[in-house]
Amino acid sequence: MSGQRKAEGAEREAFAREAMVHLDHLYRVGFHLAKHQDEAQELVQETLVRALAACDQFNPGTNMKAWLTKILYNLFFDRYHQRKRWISTDDPAYEESDYWKGLPVENPGPESHVLSRELNAQITDVLRRIPGEFRAPIVLVDMGDFTYEEAAEILSCPIGTIRSRLSRGRKLMQQYLRPYIGSEQERSKRK
Amino acid sequence: MTCDEAHELITALVDHEALDPERSSLEAHLKECAHCRFALEEERALKQAIRGAGQGIYAPSELRDRILSDPRIFPGKSRPVARWRDYVWPIPHLARPALAVALFLAIALPTFVFLKSRSEPIAIAALETYDLFLRGELPVRGTENTNEIVEQLTRAVGGHFHPMGYDLTAMDLWPVAGLVREIDGRKILVAIYQGKGGTIFCYTFLGSEADAPPNAARFFDASKKKMNFYAFSSGGVNAVLHREGEVICILASEMPMEELLVLAQSKAKPS
Repeated sequence: MSGQRKAEGAEREAFAREAMVHLDHLYRVGFHLAKHQDEAQELVQETLVRALAACDQFNPGTNMKAWLTKILYNLFFDRYHQRKRWISTDDPAYEESDYWKGLPVENPGPESHVLSRELNAQITDVLRRIPGEFRAPIVLVDMGDFTYEEAAEILSCPIGTIRSRLSRGRKLMQQYLRPYIGSEQERSKRK
Repeated sequence: MTCDEAHELITALVDHEALDPERSSLEAHLKECAHCRFALEEERALKQAIRGAGQGIYAPSELRDRILSDPRIFPGKSRPVARWRDYVWPIPHLARPALAVALFLAIALPTFVFLKSRSEPIAIAALETYDLFLRGELPVRGTENTNEIVEQLTRAVGGHFHPMGYDLTAMDLWPVAGLVREIDGRKILVAIYQGKGGTIFCYTFLGSEADAPPNAARFFDASKKKMNFYAFSSGGVNAVLHREGEVICILASEMPMEELLVLAQSKAKPS
């Protein structure tokens, strides 16, 4: 009996170690979903706790990174969704909602930004400002290297939704980042 | 195909998710439409930039430590920290003052005695990653490209300083991974080299020579570089620290100290 318990313990530890390989990725996703470092850390830690509790449901050889990310996303959704209900992008009224009125249509340009600000920080900042429906697919596909199919599975939505939200989300991000991203020639053309 | 129809397909093309016949239609449209070709390039650049921004975000070391000591995740290895109240609670009221005095003596005296030697722990604390890595407990992003490691790590500290990107191929050592550790609010860039020649960790962080452990042996290279090198060991790992301007570099390895010292001297650039 104690031998069996020992073997189970070793298996769980091996599983936890394998999960730890994806720690940076999970934190990256959690950081952009939760927006705050403390929440992101809590989210990642609880994700690993839940994953360990359900490790017998994981099929060895399948995509652990996607499996863990789905747990993290569900946890985030359960925990934070009720706190702030996201605006549905499928709602036609969304395009004219107050949310959009609060954002400038054009980027105010580099002159009004602190010049030393890093592009990465700008991207993180812009990502935080766009709605979660757009942010999640961008974080999963662009930062997490997930395919549309994997992202759709994680977010429990059709593949077509992933594609359209990516398209709209990136367009939105481009509005803010246009002066900073693209070829030198393109940027100088806009000046 | 109209430009409106092309928009979402451009996204799919950028993500290598466009399938025929849509893909062929889009490619035909792109040949004729400069506006959509521009949109394609713009979206590609954006995706690349977002990807790069993501790579600059790493799990903080405090999170890693918290997880490693969480008994729900690593029950065998966890070291749950009991609150002092947990110890005092079962003790009868009258015994508490005596216990408090005993605790004070037990904690304060060693602290007083060792206070000086523990005032600069960052160089020693950084070496913990060496052991963690060899035991496979340090998740790192693997790579074989020195430039890639340097780029990723530099990005992680907002370009404020760069890791030491050494070419150690002559010693049969190749870059295998890079990571960022945070100790006492200071970010430490770690480049890891491995090969037939063993393992070498190269730590870089902003600091001064005061970051060398007090018991480190100081060597002054009077002949060539005219700079100090500090040799010290911890947990079977040898390390040599030197300063280049505001940046501190530590080379750590299990190789003999003399060889490590010679290596550090050969790679160091005088400030």
